[in-house]
Amino acid sequence: MKTGFLTWRPSIRAAVFAVGALLALMSPFSTVQAQQKLSKRYPVAKNVRIELKNVSGTIVVESWNKDEIRLSATIESKKAHVVPRQSDQSLVVDVMSDNRGMGDVGDINFKLQVPVNSSIDLETVRGNIYVSNINSGLVRAHVSSEGDIELTNIAASHVIAQNVIGNIFFDGEFSRGGTYEFKSNKGDITIRIPGNSDFRLVAASPARRIALNDFWNNNFKSQDGRRITGDVGDGRSSVSVTNFNGQITFMRK
Amino acid sequence: MNCETCQELIHDLIDGSISQTDEFTLNTHLKQCLDCDSVRQDLASIVGFCRTQRGQYEAPPNERALWLRIRNVVEAEIPGRAAATAEPRRSFIGRLMGHTWELSLPQLATSVVAIVLLVSLATVVALRRSSGYVTPVTQVAASNENDPVWQRQQQVISYWNQRVELNKVRWSPEMRATFDRNMKTIDEAVANAVEDLKRNPHDEVSEQMLNEALNDKLTLLQDFSDL
Repeated sequence: MKTGFLTWRPSIRAAVFAVGALLALMSPFSTVQAQQKLSKRYPVAKNVRIELKNVSGTIVVESWNKDEIRLSATIESKKAHVVPRQSDQSLVVDVMSDNRGMGDVGDINFKLQVPVNSSIDLETVRGNIYVSNINSGLVRAHVSSEGDIELTNIAASHVIAQNVIGNIFFDGEFSRGGTYEFKSNKGDITIRIPGNSDFRLVAASPARRIALNDFWNNNFKSQDGRRITGDVGDGRSSVSVTNFNGQITFMRK
Repeated sequence: MNCETCQELIHDLIDGSISQTDEFTLNTHLKQCLDCDSVRQDLASIVGFCRTQRGQYEAPPNERALWLRIRNVVEAEIPGRAAATAEPRRSFIGRLMGHTWELSLPQLATSVVAIVLLVSLATVVALRRSSGYVTPVTQVAASNENDPVWQRQQQVISYWNQRVELNKVRWSPEMRATFDRNMKTIDEAVANAVEDLKRNPHDEVSEQMLNEALNDKLTLLQDFSDL
């Protein structure tokens, strides 16, 4: 009895091919369909505080000209939960707590559009963080392990950017009385600020890779190139930069 | 505003030299604090009286009689005070129990600091006596073994390390690789700082780097232990 594929009628063979090809084409889409998508809007005050604690994935925060937050998320795993909580003055998303005890819930990529005066407090275990166009009291970006941090066009009185492996880029300005802290174990830290910035600097790099460029002056004290302290202008804001292995670079806008 | 500041400002208020902001703050406090308000009224009446009299006061009709009356009043109060101070001697426990334990703010702060110091010392002693879990960091930094702060830090790190080890089985291979890669990076930073400190024990930069690397290690462990 002939049962081999080649012995089938041509029309059946064509149909089997067509179904196989369709299944092969559908496989990438089926992965996409396994993802969850979340999109929500929250009416808020202008100076709202946003706290986001992610486990893995990219976080993008940008400002827009509306008194509301738009939160979009792509959730890789079906079992992961994202439960934003809104109060009078804040919006809190804590992926870590929402999924405690569930093990690895895969990547969750967030995009937040927020009022320009929002205070931003972001944490993730791993993944990149991008924040742009914020003018507020706080911008904090903390990556527990590896991930780049990019803070662009930021005017906040307190800025904290920390990771273990990855680059940190800050483009913005230092406010009078503000505090700015940048720290990485393995990655480059680049700070791009206006030429007339005034600040008190403590920069430490055991690898002796500190480039102050236009901001260097003779009042700086250097401990054999590993730590540089001193004032630029009247030292009205406080800047601390620590890098264990990478380069610290100050650039003029 | 506290009562002390308030009473200082009352003088300015009565002199008319108080700023608008201070006056607003002061009046808010006076509405809430009867004691301060009473001080203000007393002071205002004294100053008011002085201003009215402009330094010219009538002498009492019989000055000698007035002083006698004052002396009699003072002397009449003295036996009462003497009797009050001459209470029978009590035992130490009795005095201790009968004492009212009202402490001023500085006394209270000192007591709290003393208690914290004692508890810290006791903890350090207890930790030194207990057998510690040896982490890679302690192996690297044999020179710091006798430092109680270092030992305490190592105990904390080893606690979180154990928690991470328990949870690691639930992680994906990528997450495990991420953790190991980052822990290695931090351990290298710790090892470098320890080596530098061995060469130059008083090097401030290496001390700062060691502290920061250890804090980073702790943060990494704590964050991953929650997964």
